Amino acid sequence: MKSLRVMIWPYVIWLGIIILIPSLFIILATVSSFHIFNDYTFRFTSEFIRFLSDPIFLNAFKNSIKYAGLTTMICLLVGYPVAYFFANMKSKNKTLYIALLIVPIWSNMIVRIIAWENVFKPVSIINLFNLSFDLIGYDVAIIIAMVSMYLPFMIFPIYAVLDKMDHKLIEAAHDLGAGDFQTFYKVTFPLSLGGIVSGIIMTLLPAMTAFALPERIGGGKVILLGNLIEKQIFRGSFNIAATVSLVVMIVMLGLFALIVHFDKEGETLL
Amino acid sequence: MKKNYWSLSFQVTLTVITFAIIYLPILVIFLMSIHGSQYNFEKFSFTFRWYQAIFTDRQLVDAILVTLQIAVLSTLLATTFGTLFAIGIHSLRKKGRLRMMVLNNMPVVNPDIVTGILMFMIFRFLRISFGFPTMLLAHVFFSIPFVILSVLPKLKQLDPNIFDAALDLGATKFQAIIKVILPSIKVGVIAGALIAFTMSIDDFIISYFMKQGEFHNVSTLIYSRLGKRQISPNIFAYNSLIVFLTIGIMVTFNRLNRNPKRIMEREKK
Repeated sequence: MKSLRVMIWPYVIWLGIIILIPSLFIILATVSSFHIFNDYTFRFTSEFIRFLSDPIFLNAFKNSIKYAGLTTMICLLVGYPVAYFFANMKSKNKTLYIALLIVPIWSNMIVRIIAWENVFKPVSIINLFNLSFDLIGYDVAIIIAMVSMYLPFMIFPIYAVLDKMDHKLIEAAHDLGAGDFQTFYKVTFPLSLGGIVSGIIMTLLPAMTAFALPERIGGGKVILLGNLIEKQIFRGSFNIAATVSLVVMIVMLGLFALIVHFDKEGETLL
Repeated sequence: MKKNYWSLSFQVTLTVITFAIIYLPILVIFLMSIHGSQYNFEKFSFTFRWYQAIFTDRQLVDAILVTLQIAVLSTLLATTFGTLFAIGIHSLRKKGRLRMMVLNNMPVVNPDIVTGILMFMIFRFLRISFGFPTMLLAHVFFSIPFVILSVLPKLKQLDPNIFDAALDLGATKFQAIIKVILPSIKVGVIAGALIAFTMSIDDFIISYFMKQGEFHNVSTLIYSRLGKRQISPNIFAYNSLIVFLTIGIMVTFNRLNRNPKRIMEREKK
């Protein structure tokens, strides 16, 4: 099959054009006045790097860590047992139940955000059931909505590893005298670390950079890194948007190094 | 035994909570799609008019068509190229393969907003105006890595000599790929295509950076209307239709799949 190796080159070039070149632009736009919108006047400046100590940025960064961190933690605590449950399930409809976890993803994300916005508004459809909340702008509303959006992305990778795991290992642990808890702690859990890392990344990064959700459920008052990037780029402050994106990319690369460590071929990313 | 019972009921409870929290918005959307009044929630009144209103909303119909065209085209392109790239990656030695997978997985992990900005910049830099072609290219771009991830495991199960055997028997490279490799990795290719289609239909953030003026897909149209406070319940009707359609397809697939499996299991015994 050696002769087929040439087929990777178009892909390498394609990735280079779409990832590498614009990434260089982002770095350039952070340290200089480089601007893709209009002129190409070029001078180095630290003005955009200094934005990283601006209260607006610090607040968005803190919010991103807070909301995305809490959401990821809840998703992991809830998602792991659920993934475990599905992996050990012996129903003939198992695939269907898992597929039912995907159905909400098919429903448009923006429409689901509108639904949550309605649930947390005082006057809404849930008044029909004599229920009424006034939680727009509160942490709890944002976190519930985020968990609802990203929970499936935590469950799938963990389920994928647990489902593929060799059951003989667990039997072996039992035969060697390990109790249920010990078996889980010493065998199952370490073997599922790859799935956990993927799940954390697939939840944390989108939550950190979400902008439609915090905008709507936060009532326009809660700013995350995603909101900052979106606002700045459409306002024309391209360099500031690039600087914030660079921060997000650095966080991403750090987490990505973890994935490469645990799961070299990315088998848990699907 | 007792401990097992507690642990199982804990898992079942969390599973129920999971389904509740991810289906609650779906139910709310459905209720809003059959409730007669858009602003009055004192008494329930049933209506079907929002479902009819999908088709009289020219802008929404256009956006649905754009979404579908992009989803179908980007799925076809991403599946074709993704499968070819996956075969190329598979034929590398282990070290090269791992390197390629790191490259491939980068866009998968990259947050959508960053991918959106990267693509926004390259098109802007090349002075390409935004619209259908850029949105299509962006969708092809973010779908390919998923197709590769889906096809590679199937390639690994393939007999490594099968391709060379086909060449020895006189097939051209192209024939060997189409007639020998492709049938064996069919499942992975179909799964990859399904993922690509799903990702494309559901994408908001990347499309948001690829649109211009009044050119919209469903997600960006809804978001722009949301900003202008112009949300009409026909959007909820559209969304509910999609959900019913997917549930229907999944249940049917499950029925169809179950029978042959059972027969196979019986044969095994």
